[in-house]
Amino acid sequence: MATNLYKYYEEMRAKGTILYFNGPVSQAMVEGLAGIMREKMRAEDAAMASVQRVFSILVEQMQNIVRYSSERSSHLSQGLGEMAHGQVVVGRESDGSFFVACGNKVRTEDVDRLAGQLELLRTMGRQDLKEYYRERRRRLPDADSKGAGLGFIEMARQSSRPMDFDFVPLDCDTSFFSMKVVAQ
Amino acid sequence: MTRFSVQATKSSPHIDFDPETCILEIRGESYPENCSNFYSPVFDWLERFLSDARNDRVELNMEILYFNSSSSKTFMDLFDMLDSEAAKGRSIVVNWRYHEENETAMECGEEFMEDVRNLRFNLVEYVD
Repeated sequence: MATNLYKYYEEMRAKGTILYFNGPVSQAMVEGLAGIMREKMRAEDAAMASVQRVFSILVEQMQNIVRYSSERSSHLSQGLGEMAHGQVVVGRESDGSFFVACGNKVRTEDVDRLAGQLELLRTMGRQDLKEYYRERRRRLPDADSKGAGLGFIEMARQSSRPMDFDFVPLDCDTSFFSMKVVAQ
Repeated sequence: MTRFSVQATKSSPHIDFDPETCILEIRGESYPENCSNFYSPVFDWLERFLSDARNDRVELNMEILYFNSSSSKTFMDLFDMLDSEAAKGRSIVVNWRYHEENETAMECGEEFMEDVRNLRFNLVEYVD
């Protein structure tokens, strides 16, 4: 495997990938990766709005992995917080805009609910998304939500076009979820 | 009541609530791992503080560079709590401070302002 790394490196570079991470994600990793992306974009004089959008989408996606990835460590010692497996990619589209994508395993029983939410968001325009966000912010989160249940709406609001997503069945209980957001 | 103070971390803000001056401050970034756990002592302190009849005028200064969606929900709950105090006739002022170049922070402040009724919500722009 080690001898193939150059091949991966070249592939990623050719595709315009800026960050590729696959492995255990914890809150410390969210702070570290999102922080270093922000520093790098600032150092390259990216527009402040782009820096903030990429940072924000990356935080929401990585915190979703920490909370919801079905592939997780169950023997963590106390005080370390949660750790779950997933991947994130940050790169640039051919038109220069930034994208943030993530992938992780989810329980198949959650697929319909997730797909339904994401499909609904795909049909909404800017004003609808704003209203929906404000309405949901005042509502109690769903029982199966570990956060405020606003992450997808937040990302939809930062996205320049309807968000792409995909579920691949892996076995009876597990599917692979991926999504991609192109920052406005 | 004792002063409530929390140091900032990378993902959680500096908090300083002074019961003597009735000036409350929250500054920094907010995307902790578990938002409700992080803010629950803040709400506990505020509940006790607000039930204390001595403090008539309360001022909350917020300068948040970035916050995640869970924090957004938490801040809305915080403003709702203060809003219902203001509805009882108490003078409550929230100063939402944002850097002149931080358009996102300004827009977020505007959205919170649209969602409160009774408290005074000021958008305060600052420069370096």
